[in-house]
Amino acid sequence: MTEFVSSFLTVILIILAVMVLLCLVRCVMGPRVTDRIVCVNMIGTLVVFMIAILAIKLEEGYLADICVIYAMISFLAVVVLCKVYLGVYLDRKNREFAALENDAEDLENVESIGNAEAVNATMNKETKEGSENVNA
Amino acid sequence: MSTLEIVCDVIGILLIILGLIIYLFQIIGLFKYKYILNRMHAAGMGDTLGLFLGLLGIILLCGLTFTSLKLGLVVLFLWFSSPTSSHLISKLEVCTNEEVGEHAEIQIDKEEDMQ
Repeated sequence: MTEFVSSFLTVILIILAVMVLLCLVRCVMGPRVTDRIVCVNMIGTLVVFMIAILAIKLEEGYLADICVIYAMISFLAVVVLCKVYLGVYLDRKNREFAALENDAEDLENVESIGNAEAVNATMNKETKEGSENVNA
Repeated sequence: MSTLEIVCDVIGILLIILGLIIYLFQIIGLFKYKYILNRMHAAGMGDTLGLFLGLLGIILLCGLTFTSLKLGLVVLFLWFSSPTSSHLISKLEVCTNEEVGEHAEIQIDKEEDMQ
């Protein structure tokens, strides 16, 4: 590793760090959760590249192993986040749907109760009239 | 230092710079496009091509050792994992976004896909 290559790799690391910061800005800006997950995935890839550069700049072989593990964990994070958010969304949707169905049932009950009261009232009237007739 | 090593270093540095340019395009695309499904295109390009070029340059810089083999494994793994994660993210977007029809034509049955 010559002096020139080492300093070149330092410059590359600085540029990559700036890119990670830009990704973070985009992550904060993203209006929906999927934008944020894409940015987190991208930050993971950039960090894998940075660790690979460090592995040859410091000439430490074990950093390549960390590189592999980091790639795997970053992929796992994306999968888990997607599954969790889909589950949360479907759960909320199901609950809203159930609430709507409950409301509809309540409406039907109210209408049937109202009908029953009306029927009772007419029946009372008829019996009253009938009793009046009997009295007459 | 032999000529072969110098040539390897020069090609490696060029490949790393090329990978960095791909990453730059990725960041530009991430800020330029308005909708997530467009943005994901740029992100996927950086994940596969950018990392491949960058790690190829690093492998050329350090020569054929066990470390470079592991770095090749990283590239292989990311080529499998990046399309998978893109697919999952787009599925999440189509399932959860109510107004996805305004940005893109969706032909699948939403209810069927959710189950």
